[in-house]
Amino acid sequence: MRPRRPLDPYLMLAPTLLVLGLFFVVPLGIAAYRSFFRWDLLTEPRPVGFRNYAMLVKQGALADTALRTLAFGAIVVVLSVSLGLALAVLLDRPGRLYAFVRGAVFSAYVVSWVAVALLWMWILDGNVGLLNQVLRKVGFAGANWLGDPRTALITLALVTVWKITGYAMVIFLAGLQSIPRSLYEAAALDGAGPFRRFVHVTWPTLAPTTLFVATTSLILSFQAFDIVRVMTQGGPVKSTTLFVYAIYEEVFLNLRVGRASALTVVFFGMLAVLTLLNLWAFSLAKKRKKAAP
Amino acid sequence: MKRRDLLLGSLSIGATSILPACRGGDPRTADLWFSYGGKNREVLLSLVEAFHASQPEHRVRPIYQGDYFELLAKLRTAIHAGAAPSVTHVVGEIVPYLVGAGALERLDGIPELSVDFDLVPELTQSGLFASSEPKPLYALPFNRSTPIAYLNRKAFDEAGLVPPTTWDELRAAAAKLTRGSGADKRFGFGCPIDWWFWVALLEQAGGEVIDASGQVTLGGDAGVRALRFWQTLADDDASMRVPTGRDYNAWQVTNEDFIAGRAAMIWTSTAFLRYIETNAKFPVLTAPLPRDRRFAVPTGGTMFVMPRSEAGPKQRAAAAFLAFMMQPARANTFATETGYIPVSKAGLRMLDAEGWFASHPNAKVAVDQLAHARPWPWGTQIFRLQREIVQPRLEAAIVGHHDAQEALDEARRAVVEDP
Repeated sequence: MRPRRPLDPYLMLAPTLLVLGLFFVVPLGIAAYRSFFRWDLLTEPRPVGFRNYAMLVKQGALADTALRTLAFGAIVVVLSVSLGLALAVLLDRPGRLYAFVRGAVFSAYVVSWVAVALLWMWILDGNVGLLNQVLRKVGFAGANWLGDPRTALITLALVTVWKITGYAMVIFLAGLQSIPRSLYEAAALDGAGPFRRFVHVTWPTLAPTTLFVATTSLILSFQAFDIVRVMTQGGPVKSTTLFVYAIYEEVFLNLRVGRASALTVVFFGMLAVLTLLNLWAFSLAKKRKKAAP
Repeated sequence: MKRRDLLLGSLSIGATSILPACRGGDPRTADLWFSYGGKNREVLLSLVEAFHASQPEHRVRPIYQGDYFELLAKLRTAIHAGAAPSVTHVVGEIVPYLVGAGALERLDGIPELSVDFDLVPELTQSGLFASSEPKPLYALPFNRSTPIAYLNRKAFDEAGLVPPTTWDELRAAAAKLTRGSGADKRFGFGCPIDWWFWVALLEQAGGEVIDASGQVTLGGDAGVRALRFWQTLADDDASMRVPTGRDYNAWQVTNEDFIAGRAAMIWTSTAFLRYIETNAKFPVLTAPLPRDRRFAVPTGGTMFVMPRSEAGPKQRAAAAFLAFMMQPARANTFATETGYIPVSKAGLRMLDAEGWFASHPNAKVAVDQLAHARPWPWGTQIFRLQREIVQPRLEAAIVGHHDAQEALDEARRAVVEDP
């Protein structure tokens, strides 16, 4: 049977395709093209072949930045998912007090990144920071959280977790509220305690929600820029130079548009691989669900 | 009124208010991009007001654009997009790069600026750069500075110390001034781990960043000696406080360390003189930087430049503003209210006659130190050398405890492999 209006699907897709093309595909294509040039915005671009990629590999900047970003992402995803789930389970109760605590935890998510960064810079200051003052009062030495290359990345990751855990909690709360009470009642009748009910009812039922939260946390962690720009400017000794900041640094501070474009292309490739892995995990979860008796 | 009329009315109001902005505003008003915060910003804005009050013809619109590096990033993007301001100020070392890229207007071709402003030679374009041949004028000095030492006079008096004049004296003084431990520790010395101060040390050790033949040497042994001096103070003696943060964040931390008494002596720009004197709860003394093999300091701060543009009312307004700012009284206003060095020779004579330096001896140190100011090489890659190649290796050597020789060898290799 021939459709009576064969163009309609394409017309309906057109706005999305136009926006995607204009703001994503075309800029990415331009970046890919520019990555084969040496260009500083002011002088004429000079073709350099794969030299921008080769230098990134040779100087170790590519591997270092990718590993750093992956490590940052891993900390953020693991902690925001586990803390978000724990908070959701603990706070999934009626009552004003619980509502207030839920609101308080979520409030960090709606505060701007710059405000969060400034707040935590004050808390984490090595000399007069609140955290070190408290630690010293209870007998610990404190640390130079943002000034020590060994702690700076983890500290930034923990601040990110603090900010986005409220969002993870809200999504988990929505997931929890969609689990039929009858499942818990049936499990309780079978003699399952709170822990076993969590392991055998809550956790499996929340699998799609967990995947969603993990994905959004990963995206957020890969987009990290404001927090790096305000809190550490990529230092000390490049220990917090994450991918997006590295791109910014190359193009705006080092005057290397071609090098920044090469980083962008690699970053896109890395995200594409992670997205494919994510889709694969989704399809695997679906298959398992179907296969379940 | 129908809803459609209301919408159309709103749209037309929006369009009429946005379109002039898209065209660049009043065609007679020159945009001035600046990167000062705090007191410096207040003084600059007051000078713009004074410029407007002094004549009815020209107007300047000052626009804040973040710190030096942020302004520079925006300036390059704006030049590329054909939307550069009529006048701005940039770090001195970037001028040859912008000239090489054909981005700057020649100032000596503009009638208002092709006059002798009787400026302090070390602070002008020809004094700022060592060049084998005379260059056309592209930059006029504005907020110029040198690094100087700030001393906590009370701490020095208690320790029976006088300002150090050699590296050895500095090391001994820093050790003697260091006391306490943990959060209460007071360090004898503090300094941002920044290219500018490393260049000062390198030059004091007898080196040059780029030799006479144009080769990037990073001072050779002198560069390593400079970096090891910092390592000795920070690691071996534990008498130097290494500030956290990068770029100007680290500078601010150094100032705060000094003001809070966590460092008894710091090196930073003369630009912070008023700020530090106002905020310190103890008497502040300034001193020239000590010598190793010789006395030497680089100059710093920024130069006024005019991005290349069509001759017209905006350019004339920008030129008139620059001519106004080069007047001795204006240059003095900015200098005396901030701490930067007065750029006008006549202005310096005026200040001397008024007894300014007698009543503000701390302000005289940077002026006197100009006798040891070393010019920067006229190189289009100096800025990249600083930002991309040297600065990260300085951090690696001090914060990351890398070997100084290896760090600078690696930097020299990067100059060759990845210019």
